[in-house]
Amino acid sequence: MTEINNVRKNGKRPFEAGPGRPRLALVGSPNVGKSSLFNRLTNSYLIVSNYPGTTVEVSRGQARIGEVEFEVIDTPGLYSLLPLTEEERVARDILRLERPELVLHVIDAKNLERMLPLTLQLREAGLSLVLVLNIMDDAEKLGLRIDLERLERELGLPAAATVSTTGRGIDKLKEIILTAHEQRKT
Amino acid sequence: MSNEKPEARYQRLAADYRKRIAARLKADYGFRPDFVALLLIQDDQEMLQLVREKEPEAWTEIAGLVTELKERLDEPPAYLIARYYQARASRLAAETICCQKRSAVADFQLQLSRLMINPVTGLPILFLILYFGLYLFVGRFGAGVLVDLLEEHLFNQRLTPWLTGASNRWLPWPALRELFTGEYGIITLGVRYAVALILPIVTTFFLAFAVLEDTGYLPRLALLLDRFFKKIGLTGRAVIPLVLGLGCDTMATLVTRTLPTRRERFIATLLLALAVPCAAQLGVIFSLLAEKPAGIAVWAMIILAVFLLAGFLASRLVPGDPPDFYLEIPLLRRPLFSNILVKTGARIKWYFLEIMPMFIFASLLIWAGRLSHLFDLLVRILTFPVRWLGLPAETAVAFLFGFFRRDYGAGGLYDLKKAGLLSGNQLLVAAVTLTLFLPCVAQFLMNIKERGWKVGVSISIFTLFFSFTVGFFLNLGLNLLGINL
Repeated sequence: MTEINNVRKNGKRPFEAGPGRPRLALVGSPNVGKSSLFNRLTNSYLIVSNYPGTTVEVSRGQARIGEVEFEVIDTPGLYSLLPLTEEERVARDILRLERPELVLHVIDAKNLERMLPLTLQLREAGLSLVLVLNIMDDAEKLGLRIDLERLERELGLPAAATVSTTGRGIDKLKEIILTAHEQRKT
Repeated sequence: MSNEKPEARYQRLAADYRKRIAARLKADYGFRPDFVALLLIQDDQEMLQLVREKEPEAWTEIAGLVTELKERLDEPPAYLIARYYQARASRLAAETICCQKRSAVADFQLQLSRLMINPVTGLPILFLILYFGLYLFVGRFGAGVLVDLLEEHLFNQRLTPWLTGASNRWLPWPALRELFTGEYGIITLGVRYAVALILPIVTTFFLAFAVLEDTGYLPRLALLLDRFFKKIGLTGRAVIPLVLGLGCDTMATLVTRTLPTRRERFIATLLLALAVPCAAQLGVIFSLLAEKPAGIAVWAMIILAVFLLAGFLASRLVPGDPPDFYLEIPLLRRPLFSNILVKTGARIKWYFLEIMPMFIFASLLIWAGRLSHLFDLLVRILTFPVRWLGLPAETAVAFLFGFFRRDYGAGGLYDLKKAGLLSGNQLLVAAVTLTLFLPCVAQFLMNIKERGWKVGVSISIFTLFFSFTVGFFLNLGLNLLGINL
């Protein structure tokens, strides 16, 4: 893949895909809790803020889920697979060139309608996908109730409801990741 | 809102072209070919370029199909496709979400959120936040009480005398003594500035910033200021890097990457270099002018005026379209105490690891400069422009420090003020000039990294001359009007 060498000039170049740990990529619009989820999965600490666009550099970490070591990649905010900003291009390049085994599309549960278009795009792009409805506590405070099973059925994707700041739903998410990984192997 | 029409239209025409384009894509793009085709149809320049390189034979045909489809649709395909996805998403959402009554807490939060965004109530709220958070907490408490405690009680009364005594006893060579505990020594100047002056200020700022950040106030501030920022070629989106600049301009310049157009990135970089003081600078300036509230007011007005004027002129001179702005607004929430502490800790660590070696290096540099008399020569040269500003010759040292780091320069002024060498007017002129002065070395390097050599160097030269010009006229104005602060 020679294109990797000339896509990004400013040091944010994606790593070439290769053998090694299976990769998990976290994507989604700004301020949906990707970095906070990254910290939960990898037990590390990235600065997490309650404002959009905080992740400028791509962060990588390791997560041990069950018996499997994953490489976790936190990406800058992405609204659409048709990128407008430099960050969006970086995020798209990671999806395109790094071949993550599983892509976690993290969304703000209270803005489901606004965020689903990207889910549909990611699915059409042929990526294997898990939908993570994060910040579920806010959605509940606003009185929203989401039928997770129906959503899973309609999209044909596994979905998890989480609150990454408190850790709610993370175990369920890990189970989903592991199941997807097992299916991939067989 | 579900709308069948664009969906049907898209299905009929685009689906066919998409299939035909996809069939001609042979290389691996990391996405499914029919999705790559969809991106091409939407005029994705990066993808078009890539396909052009990878499919030399089929390229003409592919490009032809893309153009043909565009001509056959009444609207740009990108709109149609976006609407198609949105319609499907809306239908899905309608099928899976059901609503109950909002909780009382959420009602209150939404109300408060509206007050923060509405200019009539939002500007007073912003003023209160600046007054309590920035002025009282960072300026008076951090830069006043805490600095006093560390500087006066820890360093000047205990650590420095003890270490000076020790070095006099154990270090036989005067030059080496000078290096550690002399006037500009590593301990007496470098470590003292970093630990006693900069650390408490930066800590209080990052604490205040983390609280604002985690409550979700900043996106609301972005909406509030959007209309004003439009006048200076930016949008509310620039609030985030610019407010972060009040903490550290270097960090903030990195974050200008989140701005969508080159024009916005350039304007924001310029404003950060010129008219956004960093926390360390702010804190020292607040404490310099602590007994002169009128001085702080004049200082703030001048910096604000320069900020607006520079932005306004830059937006006129730099070519490009006025940008659009759209921002996700998270709910307001009570910040998690642990998150604030960990985050502040991480930022202080980042900052401290960056400045500590620089400060020690500066002491080394000054020491070498003094041994070779180069330091005195530079100070003597700088006394000329400093005199034009009506400042005593001793301030030249602070300006020389300022070439190295903003906070270091402000720190130099702090020492002069304590020695009682500056009058109220002189403090104000020096504070204004040093605020507008060159970006520090780290920010300069970041400017070059993010914006290239030409822009990075021009911004520095421009701010250097501009700051002295403003200082000169300010001094002249104060004298002509007979104002004595």
